[in-house]
Formats: sequence, C-alpha cells, structure tokens
Amino acid sequence: MDRVTGRPNHIEDALCQMHSNQWFTWTDSKNKIYANLRLTEKVGVDGNIVDNLVTELPTETAINTKLTELQTAWDNAND
Amino acid sequence: MAQTFLKLDTGVTGTLSTSNYVQGGISVADQWRLTTTFTNAADPIASNLERVDTTGQGTIGSAMTESSGIFTFPSTGIYKIEFIIQCLLNGDTRFHKGQILVTTDNSSYNSVTSSRAFIANLSNNTFGSCIATTYFDVTNTSNCKVKFSISVEDSSTSTLGSSTENETSFTFTRLGDT
Repeated sequence: MDRVTGRPNHIEDALCQMHSNQWFTWTDSKNKIYANLRLTEKVGVDGNIVDNLVTELPTETAINTKLTELQTAWDNAND
Repeated sequence: MAQTFLKLDTGVTGTLSTSNYVQGGISVADQWRLTTTFTNAADPIASNLERVDTTGQGTIGSAMTESSGIFTFPSTGIYKIEFIIQCLLNGDTRFHKGQILVTTDNSSYNSVTSSRAFIANLSNNTFGSCIATTYFDVTNTSNCKVKFSISVEDSSTSTLGSSTENETSFTFTRLGDT
C-alpha cells in the first residue's frame, strides 16, 4: 500500500482483506511475492495460540483480482 | 548485571587498565517489528515478527528472544517496554487498541498497559497510531515474559507491518537492576 496516499499497490493489501488475523506469512519478508507466501500454522485468539482456520492459500489469480478490486474502489473514491 | 563506576578523589591521578573498565549506561536496548500487515484482532500477535535489521538500525547487548509472540528477556532488570501501533481503515472507528501483557509466573498474563487510536475517515484509507508503554520488573527470565495484543472495534481495521521500516514495533530497554 502506498503509505502516503493509502492506495493499495501490493498483494499483501489484498491478502489482508481476504481473511482476518495473522493467517499468512512469508518465507522471505524482504521479498513479498506469491511464491514466498505461506499459511501460518497458528494464530492468536483470545489470549490463546490456536490452529489457523484458513487451510488453503488463495490462488495468485484470486489475489490479483482482489487487489484490482481494491484499487478500483480507491480510485473511484478519490476521483 | 550490576554496573560499577570508578570515582577518584580530587587530586588523585593514575591510569586504569582497560581490562578493568566496566561499561555503564544501557546494557540492553533491543527492537523488533511486525513485518506483515494483518486485519482485525490478534491476541497475541503471534507471528511475522523480526528484530530490526534495516541499514542504520542498531541494538545494544543481548537480544530478546521470541516464540509464538512470547518474548523472553536476556537478563533480569527493570525494562522499559514500548509498543507502537500503526493502523489503517477505510471508514471510522472509535478504537484500535494495543495492549502489553506480562506474566511473572510464565503462565497467567495480565494487561499492564493499553492504548487506543481512533480513525475518522478523512479519505479512502486513513491512518492512525498510538503508543503503549510500561516498566516491567524482570526478576526471573524464565518466569517474567511479555506479549502484545491488538483488539479492534471495526474488524476491517488493519495493523500495519513492514520489514524495511518500523511501523508497528516493540522496543525493550533495560534501565537498571531489578
């Protein structure tokens, strides 16, 4: 996300809107590309560490579609 | 570790071998950050944490260690803990709350500090921030630990993370002996 304007510009922006909590991670946080995307095994809920209820990664196409949707919404709101 | 300082009487001169020097001041200053943004609550923040490593950033002394969001201190002492939270929402929200939770028995945690940001939607995607801070008396490194949580009013609110600069961050500074 553009930290100045708030316009979504990265797949992480889309991932955040697809599920709640810390459901995904990166094998290399300095290189946040789809190939490095993984599910987290555990998440923190109500003070406990529990299994991540998200069990399947979205496809790259689905993520890109979500990102485009967010960008379109942002562009329409800021025209 | 106790810190010792040398005090000379007026008029006394001499040379102290460098092998006898004892460094004063801060012995532990460590900083971590959230590397990846997430939406809604996390209690505790359990993953996507790293020790700061961007060019120019530095730390002092031994590092904190972290496992599933539980931080362990490298030595006993009085520590200042600072939790900076940055958040974002496309909308309005009354609160986005960060909490510092500590245990002294490595089992039951209680909140010692909470801080809340609010967001009034000035434009599509508006940022907010708040800081929670506390002093923690770490008398035993096996039993005294700390974790951090985020709770929200609006489940669409994001807590911002980055692996190149501190957005949501955790700072641990040892101020002195317990």
